Amino acid sequence: MSVELKLSRSNRVYRATEPIEGKIIITSHSSISHYGIRLTIYGSVNLQVRGGSAGVIEAFYGVVKPITIVNRSLEIKPSGKITSGVTEIPFSVVLRQHGEENLEKIYETFHGVNISIQYLVTAEIMRGYLHKVLTSTVEFIVENDNPLDSPVSPETVIFYITQDTQRHPLLPEVKSGGFRVTGKISTQCALSDPITGELTVESSAVPIQSIDIHLFRMESVLVGEMIVTETTLIQTTQIADGDVSRNLTLPIYVILPRLLTCPTELVGPFSIEFKLMIIISFQSDLSKLHSKSDPKIPRLWTAVESVPLELVYNIK
Amino acid sequence: MAFRIRDYEAEEEAHSLPRLRTDFHPLASSSPSPKVDDDVVEHEKSEFFDPLRRPETTEMVSVEDLQEFDIASVTKASSSDGFQHAEREWNLFKRLLMQRFSVSKTVSISSHLDMSLWKALGFIYLTVMTISCCSTPGTFVFCLHHNFDSRALLVVQRSDIILKSGKGSEKSSTSMHLEDLDDLQKVSEDVKVIPKEEYISRLHELKDDIARAWHADDRVTSLKLSIKAILRLVARLLMDTTASQFYPTVFVLATDILDTLGKMVWERIKQKAEFQEDGSKLCSLPERFKVADVSSDAKETCNNWFCKIGSVKELLPRIYLELAILPCWRFLLDEPVDCLQRLVMMTRGIADPLASSYCCLYLAHCAQKLHPRDMVICANREPFSTNFGAGYLITCINDIKTMLIRMISSKEMTNGKVLENKKLLISLVEPAIEYIMKSLFENAIQRQVSNIILDLGLGGNPSVMFGKFPYISILLHHLLKQLPAEIVSSNAVAILQLIECSKDCSYDQHLNYRLLGFRLFEKSCQIDVVNAVVEKIMQVVTEYSGLNQYLMVVDAYVDIIIQNQMDSYPGKILEDILKRSGEKGAGENESACLQSILMKLLSHFNNLESILALNHFLEVLDMLDASPRGVVNTNILSIATRNYICDPTATQFLFEISQSLHDGIEFPNVKDVDFQQQARLISRFVQMVDYGPEVERHLTFLVDCRGAFGTTNEIKETLVHSSNYLAIKAMRDGKKQTGFVKSCLAFSEVTIPSVSASAKQLNLYLETAEVALLGGLVSHSYGLLDSAFSCLQSSDTPDGTKQSTDVEGLVLILQKICGLLVMVPGNPDLGSTYLPKAMISIVSSYSWITPKFKARILCAVVLLLATLSQSRLPYCGNHPEVYTNDLLFFGDPSYCRELELLSNDILQNLVNIVHQEPSQVTRGNMALETCNCILSSYRSTHEILAICTKLTATAKACSGTNDNFLKATIRSLDEHLSTSQVCM
Repeated sequence: MSVELKLSRSNRVYRATEPIEGKIIITSHSSISHYGIRLTIYGSVNLQVRGGSAGVIEAFYGVVKPITIVNRSLEIKPSGKITSGVTEIPFSVVLRQHGEENLEKIYETFHGVNISIQYLVTAEIMRGYLHKVLTSTVEFIVENDNPLDSPVSPETVIFYITQDTQRHPLLPEVKSGGFRVTGKISTQCALSDPITGELTVESSAVPIQSIDIHLFRMESVLVGEMIVTETTLIQTTQIADGDVSRNLTLPIYVILPRLLTCPTELVGPFSIEFKLMIIISFQSDLSKLHSKSDPKIPRLWTAVESVPLELVYNIK
Repeated sequence: MAFRIRDYEAEEEAHSLPRLRTDFHPLASSSPSPKVDDDVVEHEKSEFFDPLRRPETTEMVSVEDLQEFDIASVTKASSSDGFQHAEREWNLFKRLLMQRFSVSKTVSISSHLDMSLWKALGFIYLTVMTISCCSTPGTFVFCLHHNFDSRALLVVQRSDIILKSGKGSEKSSTSMHLEDLDDLQKVSEDVKVIPKEEYISRLHELKDDIARAWHADDRVTSLKLSIKAILRLVARLLMDTTASQFYPTVFVLATDILDTLGKMVWERIKQKAEFQEDGSKLCSLPERFKVADVSSDAKETCNNWFCKIGSVKELLPRIYLELAILPCWRFLLDEPVDCLQRLVMMTRGIADPLASSYCCLYLAHCAQKLHPRDMVICANREPFSTNFGAGYLITCINDIKTMLIRMISSKEMTNGKVLENKKLLISLVEPAIEYIMKSLFENAIQRQVSNIILDLGLGGNPSVMFGKFPYISILLHHLLKQLPAEIVSSNAVAILQLIECSKDCSYDQHLNYRLLGFRLFEKSCQIDVVNAVVEKIMQVVTEYSGLNQYLMVVDAYVDIIIQNQMDSYPGKILEDILKRSGEKGAGENESACLQSILMKLLSHFNNLESILALNHFLEVLDMLDASPRGVVNTNILSIATRNYICDPTATQFLFEISQSLHDGIEFPNVKDVDFQQQARLISRFVQMVDYGPEVERHLTFLVDCRGAFGTTNEIKETLVHSSNYLAIKAMRDGKKQTGFVKSCLAFSEVTIPSVSASAKQLNLYLETAEVALLGGLVSHSYGLLDSAFSCLQSSDTPDGTKQSTDVEGLVLILQKICGLLVMVPGNPDLGSTYLPKAMISIVSSYSWITPKFKARILCAVVLLLATLSQSRLPYCGNHPEVYTNDLLFFGDPSYCRELELLSNDILQNLVNIVHQEPSQVTRGNMALETCNCILSSYRSTHEILAICTKLTATAKACSGTNDNFLKATIRSLDEHLSTSQVCM
């Protein structure tokens, strides 16, 4: 005897305003009687602090109390009997009914290091005290529509990187030889769109090893009085490999990783933010010694430019 | 039995057909009346081009031919044809690429090559072959169980790293690649060999992985998993450019895999768009579907693919992977061509010239999978847009240009080794440039060409198509190769200037001059332009000190010079060549060019006098090596022998040429086509030489020829014919030249025995005997006939196996001898019937002869004897001093008796022989033939008629009464019967 939940969409992605549809599939060899079949939708923000920049004390506190976004339960079928064989019970549930006030905003599904926003749908078949409750749980993914009607115009910033814009020490030959890299890059971008921009190496005395765009995610959690921030490198995209020609425009084209990103959120107890880092590595013997170094830390042979990135809902 | 008396003149008059004069020759060419034919001819003329005259190597020709052939059809045909065309061309290109950089030439690979690369290649091939040959689940499993095992076994047996192809279970291209890999293996012997256990375990691992996923009913996942792993691996392979000479091979192998898998992804998504999950059909996508036609599920899958690829960190694999599934953009975008521009820009990020240019090459290839459809859209949108959707290719070329400029101007120029490396690199990059340039011009119409040229940064404004800025010479070369011929001819001077100022190490300048020459010749252009160009080129080449360069350039312009009749140049060119030849003469490269130049001159002048009149022609000819020289010599001979050769210097020259040709043949082989052609040509030359009245000198010439060409039968035959001809000619001249005729005959007599084939000897003897007879030299002709007879005797092969055609030929010769013997006076010393008797005895000695042939020969002898008995012979030798038998033995009864005796003997024999024939039909025919022969030879006595009736009875028994031959024979027999009664 088994219960299975099957959602109407194979990718299980639903908008906040759309009903979640699907069917409960019960396979049984004999007919069974039950006290009702219930369906529960549960959405929550789970916050937790571990390692990273959190201190020992914060780590001790461990899990911060989760924030419930939605917790609805409804009876699909009143008590009755299920015949043997395969029984399919279709359902359709809205995430939130009109008129429900003072509840959390519906965030998009997100799985991060410290923050996890998850939506689950659970089917339960109650069978009295003597029998185990049959359950099945499936996660579904919530994506939001753009709340604003007007499309967000992608914003870009112009940057230029030279030896003088660097706040960390550089190799002497890089410092004295000088370099200049200019370009522009998106600072606001819809989740479904690629980050675009362009980059030009105008000059560089030391040959370039590689130019990469790092995408960072910063999850901040309010723990007591202090904010604990965890920065994760979620994607690296190389746009130049080797000592590229000078004064040729290189395109920046970064597709956002779907499950690792969500719209930028800045709310009281937690926040999810993103930033881009343009890293120019120069050819140097030193770099070979530190092949696996933390990309967040600027090195002697790298030049860095950091750009904040705001991710917004898909523009419909 | 007595011979019939015949009046040959009266008989001829009675039997010959009436003759009429005719106004026109039946074989003369008819006047061109039908119009259709005319058109056809003209059409052919315009279409014709000599493939051997193409400027570049043969591989180019084949590619271009294919292209020219197809373009016309592509424009009309549907897009699927376009796809096929592009695919065919790409396959061809790949093959050429592999051949060009055939790795067996390089030695240093093994040290460069990473082991993992080998493993990966072998591995990938196995997987891809397995996946690609399974269209249905069943075969997939089959492949897993059989192919894998058999190949693994092979691998084990050979303990090689590289896989040997299976037993033809996959496409030929695959096996070819594998063979190439094998070649490579031979070269890199010192590569460490993977222990076979490891190899087997790896194969099993892979097999198990795929099989497990498959049996877990998760087919899509298993496929996807392997594809993704392979794609990543392949794309990473392409990043490694350290073993640069091996790179094209890696490229071909890797892109093959990418293409295959790209196709699979496309099919998968298309299936998703057309079928629902449960297998029911959703819709069927039209060939030119729109994004709106695609279901959201399919779009989702497609998008996932692009996202997955987008997450690849390294730039080059990311580009390759996106290119592999480029056509899938059609599920997401209505105008996927726009992606190409971005992808081209992305390749700029690859600094390695080799990797980036091959990446561009792959891009140009993948873009063609989009084109047929999308080009139409672009054309509709902007009918005369500047770059008709090929802007990405222009960007490609401009980027390559930037890269080349950087490469050429880098500071390490002074170091010789570095320069060498650069040349190697450029030669590796060249195919990519060539392919991209070709794609760019492939579908461009003329109006667009000028825009393309502008966009490539040549020329300042539309009115001046080519400016005076230097351009990278290798790019210029391939641009020039692809430009439409009209553009080349109308801008010839400007292009010349462009070539002049584009001089860098990427490509040899003289090769560009050369190419311009060939391109100009494709389309005739204005005479003043031609003059200017040729003048300029001559200036340029005069400064070249090296022979090779000079020849390379001049070779291309000889056609133009000849075509425009600039007659002052050929002499100057030959002089210049001679000046540059120096001590060494022409090497291998130079010889080829020189040969081509000389051949062009020859075909232009077309007669020997003007060729010999060219200054220095002979000296230049001497520069050539044996083999190209042979070709030129052959050509000269064939031109010269179109007319009679009277000039002694020309004769001497041609004799020398023939001699060197003849000596050039090291091992005369009768079956060799070249050899036969040369022998024919020399024979022809011998025939065409004409000394006029100086027959003695002519004979001396023949003697010289025999000395020079004594080893070739065909020529010796010709020599005998010629000397016989000379003898006849001398006789005709009427003067008493018996001495000369004798020396001619002596020449023939000495020459004939050295001809190896006895049938040919026989014929020559007979011919010479005839000539001797005509010359009144009876004893000579006796001698010659004797020789002929001994020849006949020796032609009896001991083993008795004779080809029937040979026998037939021999019988014909014997019949011919009978005809000749009519004219030969009987030898009183040996008896008047000595020769026929000798002949009969030879024939009887033949062990192989069948009754059929023997009967024929005997009939001929009977006829001969009957003829000899006449008081007036039907023909005679026409020499006043030769008395033929009719005069010699006029009315001599003993002579007649002798003839009759002999013929009676034969007659008896003949009837017996007829009955010996085993085959019924043949026997019937033989009986009738013999009967006719007897009837025409003998007077119709009872005896004779009895024999004849017997023979006809035999014939009746054999072939039935209905046979026409039989009826006619019986009719004539009846006539004779009636006359004989009167006679009696």
